[in-house]
Amino acid sequence: MKMLWIGLANLRRMFRVRTNIFFVFVFPMVLILVLGATFGGSSSPRLGVVTSGSGPLGAALLRQLEQTPHLRVVTVSSPSVLLTQVERGNLEAGAVIPPGYDGAVRAGQAATLRYLARPDQSSQQLGETVRGAVARQAALLGAARFAVAQHAASGFDAGLAVATRIAPAVPAVTVNQTTVGTTLFSRTLGQFDEGAWTELLLFLFLTAMTGSVALIETRRLGLARRMLATPTSPATVIGGETLGRVLISCVQALVIILGSALLFGVNWGQPAGVAAVVILFALAAAGAGVFVGTLFRNEQQAMGISLLLGLGLGALGGCMVPLEVFSPTMRNIAHITPQAWGNDAFARLVGHGASIAGILPQLGILAAYAAVLLTLAAWRLRRVLSA
Amino acid sequence: MSESILECRGLRRSFGKLVAVDGVGFHIDRGETYGLLGPNGAGKTTSMSMIVGLLERDAGEVMVAGEPMTTRSVRAKSALGYVPQDLAIYPDLSGRENLMFFARLYGMSTAQAKSRSDEVLELTGLADRAGDQTKQYSGGMKRRLNIGIGLLHRPRLLILDEPTVGVDPQSRNAILESVEGLSGAGMAVLYTTHYMEEAERLCDRIGIIDHGKLIAEGTRAELVGMVGEGDQVRLSATGDLAGAAAQLSERSWVRQAKALDGSVDLVVENARSELPAILTDMAAADVTVRSVEVTEPDLEAVFLHLTGRALRD
Amino acid sequence: MRSTWLICRKDLKARLRDRSALLIGIVVPLGLAFIFNTIFSGLSGGSVIRLAVVDADHGAVSQQFTSQVLPAVGRSGLISVHAEPTLARAQALAAKGTLAAVIVIPAGFSARVQASQPASMQVIGNVDDPISTEVARSIAEGYAADLNRVRLSVATVAASHPAAPLTPAQVQALTARAAATAAPVAVSDVSAQTRELDQKSFFAAGMAVFFLFFTVQFGVTSLLEERNDGTLARLLAAPVSRASILGGKLLTSFLLGAISMAALVAATTVLFGAKWGNPAGVTVLILAAILAATGIMALIATLARNAEQASNWQSVVAVILGLIGGTFFPVSQGPGILSSLTFAAPQAWFLRGLGDLRGGGISVVWVPALAMIGFAAVTGGLALFRLRRLAEV
Repeated sequence: MKMLWIGLANLRRMFRVRTNIFFVFVFPMVLILVLGATFGGSSSPRLGVVTSGSGPLGAALLRQLEQTPHLRVVTVSSPSVLLTQVERGNLEAGAVIPPGYDGAVRAGQAATLRYLARPDQSSQQLGETVRGAVARQAALLGAARFAVAQHAASGFDAGLAVATRIAPAVPAVTVNQTTVGTTLFSRTLGQFDEGAWTELLLFLFLTAMTGSVALIETRRLGLARRMLATPTSPATVIGGETLGRVLISCVQALVIILGSALLFGVNWGQPAGVAAVVILFALAAAGAGVFVGTLFRNEQQAMGISLLLGLGLGALGGCMVPLEVFSPTMRNIAHITPQAWGNDAFARLVGHGASIAGILPQLGILAAYAAVLLTLAAWRLRRVLSA
Repeated sequence: MSESILECRGLRRSFGKLVAVDGVGFHIDRGETYGLLGPNGAGKTTSMSMIVGLLERDAGEVMVAGEPMTTRSVRAKSALGYVPQDLAIYPDLSGRENLMFFARLYGMSTAQAKSRSDEVLELTGLADRAGDQTKQYSGGMKRRLNIGIGLLHRPRLLILDEPTVGVDPQSRNAILESVEGLSGAGMAVLYTTHYMEEAERLCDRIGIIDHGKLIAEGTRAELVGMVGEGDQVRLSATGDLAGAAAQLSERSWVRQAKALDGSVDLVVENARSELPAILTDMAAADVTVRSVEVTEPDLEAVFLHLTGRALRD
Repeated sequence: MRSTWLICRKDLKARLRDRSALLIGIVVPLGLAFIFNTIFSGLSGGSVIRLAVVDADHGAVSQQFTSQVLPAVGRSGLISVHAEPTLARAQALAAKGTLAAVIVIPAGFSARVQASQPASMQVIGNVDDPISTEVARSIAEGYAADLNRVRLSVATVAASHPAAPLTPAQVQALTARAAATAAPVAVSDVSAQTRELDQKSFFAAGMAVFFLFFTVQFGVTSLLEERNDGTLARLLAAPVSRASILGGKLLTSFLLGAISMAALVAATTVLFGAKWGNPAGVTVLILAAILAATGIMALIATLARNAEQASNWQSVVAVILGLIGGTFFPVSQGPGILSSLTFAAPQAWFLRGLGDLRGGGISVVWVPALAMIGFAAVTGGLALFRLRRLAEV
């Protein structure tokens, strides 16, 4: 089939330029790795703690903090280093257990832990967690001090020993926690899963967009005219160019899916469903790419617009920051883009273990995008080639 | 010496193991048109690049209007106008902007550049398209602008590197006419080509270059004279052709006389002046001459004689 | 010098006419910064945590919690709390996500606390908002711990007299005394400066410096283009020094970068309120960044055979440096290895300089600026060395 030949020629041309291999295959994988390592998996906020000179009680408080869930303790050498780290954002917050803490507590004086945070919300949230942990420790210390004050203990350490011993037996006020609501993902996602499907969609679209530049080159070099001079109908040329884009997308998807599955253990969900999403999305992206290609005569202008559309629509569609953290308004806006529908499909495939039947609505919308964009592309390409 | 606008001696340049130019030297006098004639790959462009100061020389000297020329010379380059073989104009700028840019680059003030650009635009017939970007020009227009840029700063010597390669006959003729006009106006011109007709038409003196060496130099007449071949004369005739041939071969200035079927072929020295005598002899031999064809040796023949190869491949 | 400027001017004219420089230099980064900004300011993460408290007890202890403890936290702006009359309604709101969590004080809570019996509070959180649930839990646990301190204090005293158990009156007296004693450890808040760009400014600066490395490509790559087009031969044949030609090209890169950055700073400040910081400091950082970008991109151009190859390699390097330099997301949030790699990218120094400038005076920009100038010197020097050979036809 002539269309296939034209398509394959496109594929071959793409591979000839070695830097394309970087942008089409290597960079997406690198990004999946980096995103997974950074944002995938649950990451607890980091609390830097300075304990120098705070004595054994200070060390005890440090241990209390370390045992607190949803908190990652990093020991820091000095308050000035701590301040720098917090200000730069390398640590979410800091706590300074002052020198002399040990002595002050024993002597019945007020001991103050300095909580260092930037005036933003996540630091404040962490502050509550720290306060909770400190209060738990304070219970023991307070009991010891009280015993000393009431002359019931010979010394602080004796009191503390008694308090620690009897604490488990004392009826306590506890806090129980339960959760309600339907979870977004019924299955636990792997560390790299969400990053993988969002980046796949981002790069499929971006590559199709920047590939439109190759289309302009075809025109510029007069190759399209040459193709039309052979006994080949315009429809075949158009079909061939578009098929070329789709072939490139499919190869790209194959490499990214298999590569990430092998290297990072990414789970993609039911293969039939994945294939359906990828193919329909690739068709839509190809349509968009060819359409943009016909709008420009200058390669560099086309490249600029392609980058803007590829990255912009990708971001809007939830490929950089996941859709679940979008506000409800933004989430609605996001669904203008085919990327958002693709992301929804994958969330169901991977996050809920859905089969292809479970994503039919999303597939339908993607098919509609594909149909519209391909029609537009074919119409424009025909006009341009006959001009 | 002081008359020379260009003086080059012992130019030598190699690219790796290939010796492209090996000891080329010639001079060009004021107002003279000098042609460098040779086949493709002879070393014309390399020699040109060294003369213009684009390429470093391995050996040799170049003096332009008494100033030494190197890749760094500013004064020597100011005296030269350069028209490269490939079109060298900026596609995103208009014709006028191209001219203004180069004019100012050659040291003219804005006012001077403006007036001179207008002149050149008139000269090249591009005045009404001066504001359009050159990427919209036709091929011929681009060529004219290419030459125009070389003339902007009224150079002492204009150097044209194979300006008619790949050009349609009409534009080619226009180019040749312009060069003739410039020579006529007294500009010194260095013209490289592998077309013999152009060299013959335009140049006062010609240097023949092959395999990096200047193998012959002189006016057309001098070069042709080197060959010593004589002119060929073919007389289509009827009658006693053998007898006529025999009689003509007695003449001292006839090198060869052959009777063929329907014609007498002669090789004579200076056919033009001896033609009356030839016809007289033919008449005396009672031969009716129907037509006369005189072929003088040309530079192709010179080249063939000197190298054993054709000028054009 | 005159020739340098003439060549630069010619290049700028051609480039700006081309519109692709304008696109890559201004339109695309601005557009992306705008889109990212819109997305991120629309995120649900930035808003106050909505909590509700269901007080089924109405006793003294629960009153203290609802009227003193919770409002105190509320004043910091972290949470907004309101009372829900029924548990069922509160639970429904939490399940929907309208509320992040609900704190429930069951009936009889105060009585049990005062009778030293085990008691418990409940926190019901929305499954998709673990962070807010954690905050609610911590607040509740903090209060519980304080109540436990009183109990433990009394119990410790009692335990020291195992032989003579305390009378209820004694227990009550001790309890009152313990309750009146302040907790031994307090937590005081110290505000740290932000030496990090706020989100809007981060996107503006990140996109600007990322695309800077594309904008400056136009200058030196044009040298390769001119060689290809034949116009380089004309320049070399003209009475113009090679230094002028090279200088003109480098100057073009620099000016294009400067125009682009200036436009982006102005546009992002006016259009979406990005805060770049002290103008003098910002200028120093920007100039240094442009120099670094010009040097690096120029060096790559000299290593390529033609303009197309140069532009491809330049794009790859620009993207890699942008990634490790933290222009896509803050490196501080990234994996550990990134924090060491990041200093190989001038972009990182630029962003760090801007961040430090937020928290400090202008003197903080010198180190990042010098680092970037160092990049420029090394790469630019190598490029010039190679360019000499390039300028031969």
